[in-house]
Amino acid sequence: MKILVIEDEQSLRENITNYLNVDGNICESCSALNSALQKLSDYDYDCVLLDIGLPDGEGFDVLEYLRTNQKNEAVLIISARNSLDDKLKGLNVGADDYLTKPFHLAELKARLMAVYRRKALNTNNILVFNEISIDILGRTVEVNETAIILTRKEYDMLLYFIANKGKVISKNAIAEHLWGDEMDMHDNFDFIYTHIKNLRRKLLDAGGKDYLTSIYGLGYKFIG
Amino acid sequence: MKLSAHYTRTSIYITLIVLLAGAVIYYFAINFIAQQQLDQGLQQQLTEAEEYVRGSNQDPQQYDLDKDHAVFIKTNEQELQKRFFDTTYFNPKEQRKEVGRAVEDLVKLKDTNYKVVITISRAGQKYLIEVITIITLALLSGLLSVLFITNKYFLNGLWKPFQLTLKEIKQFNIADVNQFKGKPSKVHEFAELNEAIREMSLRVTHDYLNLKQFTENASHEMMTPLAVVTTKLDTLIQDETLSAEQLAQITDIYSSINKSSRLNQSLLLLAKLENKLITDEVPINLEGMLSEKMLQFQELMQTKDLSFKHNLQLKQVQASKYLIDILLNNLFSNAIRHNNPGGFIIIELNGDELSIKNTGAIHSLDEQVIFERFQKGKESQGTGLGLTLVKNICQHYGYTIRYQYESGWHTFVLSF
Repeated sequence: MKILVIEDEQSLRENITNYLNVDGNICESCSALNSALQKLSDYDYDCVLLDIGLPDGEGFDVLEYLRTNQKNEAVLIISARNSLDDKLKGLNVGADDYLTKPFHLAELKARLMAVYRRKALNTNNILVFNEISIDILGRTVEVNETAIILTRKEYDMLLYFIANKGKVISKNAIAEHLWGDEMDMHDNFDFIYTHIKNLRRKLLDAGGKDYLTSIYGLGYKFIG
Repeated sequence: MKLSAHYTRTSIYITLIVLLAGAVIYYFAINFIAQQQLDQGLQQQLTEAEEYVRGSNQDPQQYDLDKDHAVFIKTNEQELQKRFFDTTYFNPKEQRKEVGRAVEDLVKLKDTNYKVVITISRAGQKYLIEVITIITLALLSGLLSVLFITNKYFLNGLWKPFQLTLKEIKQFNIADVNQFKGKPSKVHEFAELNEAIREMSLRVTHDYLNLKQFTENASHEMMTPLAVVTTKLDTLIQDETLSAEQLAQITDIYSSINKSSRLNQSLLLLAKLENKLITDEVPINLEGMLSEKMLQFQELMQTKDLSFKHNLQLKQVQASKYLIDILLNNLFSNAIRHNNPGGFIIIELNGDELSIKNTGAIHSLDEQVIFERFQKGKESQGTGLGLTLVKNICQHYGYTIRYQYESGWHTFVLSF
């Protein structure tokens, strides 16, 4: 997957690029509107990560450019602004999703994979990870060609883990992914454990490998 | 009372006073002039009578056949001051008494003194005054009614541009794209008023946009460093050499970042609410949204072993989905957070009210301060803005929220 990160904050840009630069992904980055438009005209990307507030203009111009040039990049907006009109404006002019700062890298990657999959859906709607295969359209999961029944939360969690395979993910990030950042968790993540336990058991019961490891009290890792 | 009514009343009072005072002065002046003329006439007749008496040398009592007009009476008085006075006059033609004016004087003929009294009718003068009074009164009432009608209909028309301007001001909405226009008026004052309002509305709209820009910028500036810290931590935890202790520290940092970001979002939202920057109202089925929330908070309730009862009727409100979401999140969070393990939550919704009732600490909270900013319980992990947001969202939509406590039950009631 080829990704372009357009973000003016240097350390944020570097962290994102480093996190995404795995599994054969190619991740390029730029910090301003002009260089972004230049890169977009020179190369084709699968996904664009777009910060709305750029030093030399509004990130919406990128969306406008992609639309008028009929380019097919999936766009994920990252913005500190959470005002609703920005959100609507962004989605209306062709962004595929919207992520408000601050965000977890795991969340970013999961969203990016989701918008990418949605764009590529016509060609491939089965996500295969070793013995696990997931039908994105039908939201069904098979392990070694045996269907397993997952709850909505378990299914979301599985996709989330696979998108971030090999990475340690904090409980905060998992909770925000599953319940949304609007909901105040009161720093009580005990209930995540139940979902993880169930998902793990269901995968094991169907003959899958044990991918999930707990990282002390901090979070979990899906070994890829 | 309308300004035109004030104006009419004042102008009528003033007209009435001036005209009445005028009429009184007029009356006395006419009376005085008429009397002067009568007195002159009398003086002339007196002089004629005296000359005649001296010239004829006869008994002056023979002077005039008309005894009622001029009378000569013998008198022993040596001195008599000439004087004019009001009296009655017998009109021989009409055979009736009329008001009259008379003069008396002393005439010497040889050694005899005669007192002469000449009387004339004052009826003419009285008639003149009556006519003048009637004309004056007619003029007065005519003027008053014309004034009244003019003020009532004509002046009301004059105020029309003002009323149009007022209507436009009432409809002015800062968030609207429509600017204040104001109907052009030939009246200088109204044209100036429209111009002033137009300038003011432009300035206000400009400030409003600035404020909106500032709110967004503030959010941007504060959220980006938080995003940097979060992503740095996300990268840091990938390090497999970290000890359990270090990971525990990182967990605490995550919590703090989460809290600051939540705090920042709440403060920005409060600012937006106070400046009425949120306008995306859609019809919302409250009972549907409540059911969703119950599902969303299910796990959280299970960890505290809370039991849940609800009685929801259909209720639709016109509001921002985002705000109602925050409102319900905060009320639910509170009901769970401040509950006892194994406690209860009862939610009721009908056409007028939404009540969220939970068990909890066995003492009442202070209703005066719980909705204030940064008021929270000692053990509370929240931002201290939850109930402030709830209150401000309620105010935004004209709802009222109140808190009740009764034997271990804490209830928040929202009236639409």
